[in-house]
Amino acid sequence: MSRQSKFQIGRRSFLKITAGAAIISGVGLPKKSFAGTDEQLSTLIDLSLCDGCADRKVPACVSACKTINKDKIPQVAQPIPIPWPRKTIEDWSKKREVFKRLTPYNFIYVHKAEVNMAGQKKTVFVPRRCMHCDNPACATICPFSANHKNKNGAVVIDQSICFGGAKCRDVCPWEIPQRQSGVGIYLHILPEYMGNGVMYKCDLCVERLAANKLPGCVEACPREALLIGTRSAIEKMAGSRAGRMNGYIYGKTQNGGTSTLYVSPVPFEEINKTMTKKPGQPDMKVEVQRRMARTDSMGKAALAAPVLGIAAAGVAGAWNWLSHRKDKTGKEE
Amino acid sequence: MTGKILPEKNLVVRHSALELIEHWAIAISGLVLFLTGMFELPMSKRYYIVNIPGLGWSADYMTSLYIHYAAAIVFTAAAMFHVFYHGLRGEKGLLPRKGDFSESITVIKSLFGFGEEPPMNKYLPEQRLAYAGMAFVILMLIISGLVKTYKNLYAPDMSLTVVLWATWIHNIFFILFFLAFLAHMAAILLRPNWPMVRGIFTGKVRLDYARHRHPLWIDDIEPAQEIPLVVVEETQAPPVPEDEKIIDNNKEE
Repeated sequence: MSRQSKFQIGRRSFLKITAGAAIISGVGLPKKSFAGTDEQLSTLIDLSLCDGCADRKVPACVSACKTINKDKIPQVAQPIPIPWPRKTIEDWSKKREVFKRLTPYNFIYVHKAEVNMAGQKKTVFVPRRCMHCDNPACATICPFSANHKNKNGAVVIDQSICFGGAKCRDVCPWEIPQRQSGVGIYLHILPEYMGNGVMYKCDLCVERLAANKLPGCVEACPREALLIGTRSAIEKMAGSRAGRMNGYIYGKTQNGGTSTLYVSPVPFEEINKTMTKKPGQPDMKVEVQRRMARTDSMGKAALAAPVLGIAAAGVAGAWNWLSHRKDKTGKEE
Repeated sequence: MTGKILPEKNLVVRHSALELIEHWAIAISGLVLFLTGMFELPMSKRYYIVNIPGLGWSADYMTSLYIHYAAAIVFTAAAMFHVFYHGLRGEKGLLPRKGDFSESITVIKSLFGFGEEPPMNKYLPEQRLAYAGMAFVILMLIISGLVKTYKNLYAPDMSLTVVLWATWIHNIFFILFFLAFLAHMAAILLRPNWPMVRGIFTGKVRLDYARHRHPLWIDDIEPAQEIPLVVVEETQAPPVPEDEKIIDNNKEE
């Protein structure tokens, strides 16, 4: 009960805190747009505010996202070419209405977590979508650079050059990107042998940001549970809110850091226990290592390799010159 | 020491130990890069490569990337060593020269029985052209690879234009590298080139072959060593394998 009242106080003071943080940072209310700039943005998802839009069939954030992206996927080829030799295809074109998991037609969903805290049942609603990681493997090792992290932190797939190999999903710790087969550039090349569609996921509404608009989910949330702002303002706000609610933050360190910060009055270990990782339904493990980190030291050595080669050439050249000089001197004597 | 004639063994040193190390370091690391580069494409599971014994790691992009980086260290360092070491020593035997293109056509025609080969230096004209082509491919792969590595480590939000250029240069030159490798292997299949194959393994080629096909090279090195033209009795010379015997139609002596 005491936690609940703290939580309410936290919410009531939201606008004051927001305004305070905004005045300090000098950029205006975080709910307002920072659009069209290269400034690094972050989003905040406050689980103490999200109620999963209990009064609606589809949560407002999901609904807004679906509306904005409804025409993103072009007409799917019929029949969809069957890849060779592994014949897997993923077709969501006849299940576009699905909203309780990630699909190529649904970039955000809300997970309902019923957790037991100190003997009390508590329900938390967790909107799930791309975390927009600081160093996103999905983007950096895309073989065609179809996926890229923008200066503002948004990780965006360029559907026009994506082959749908789903490598991005394989390397994402939350397996966020979703594939629609039968669309995209691969159809014009060797559809049976190379590629298998196009990958789709949340792009932080980059086009809306560029047009000075808020991301659909942020704009639609009736409880202002989703916010967007500069990285520093959001981090400050997340820290402040977590402190006030004696709560927890998720997304700050996971996978090497992300630009999505969840604030929750409930430990994420408890929330994760309510999640079973399934296709399109990521879990929320607290320990999420950036898997690519284990290649970093070798990568740094590769960057140093030209210098290594040139230095070795210098040493070998000097050795050679000294040996010749010695031989020459010996012969003259 | 390159160019040393070993008349008693009917051999001449074509490549130094260092040159052999350079060649094989680039060749082996290049093939590892090619293979792990392929595995960076989502093909291992699709094509069941992952089920081949010993290749279970091929579907793990991080493992492939780790090996790719490791091979890139050898590849890049060896390439840089090659350029700077031989550059410092002023060795230009492999660099293309004026007339190499037309001379290459003459040589290639002769390989298929049309016309005769002109007297050649240590390296054939088409070898010099192929070297320049391969060096360019390798240079582009190294530069684009370094840009991609830097992006992976330090700048995932690097300019998209730069990233796209680096990516597509890497992908296109990856294909060219493979084609150049195939051409390199095809050259070995040509019978007149067979005597050179032992050279890239042992560093030495047969002296009689070199005299016949690379007379300009032998002319360059022989006066320096003051070795008489004939020092080995025919009967003492090591037997020449049947498939490497040279049919000389220019018997002028």
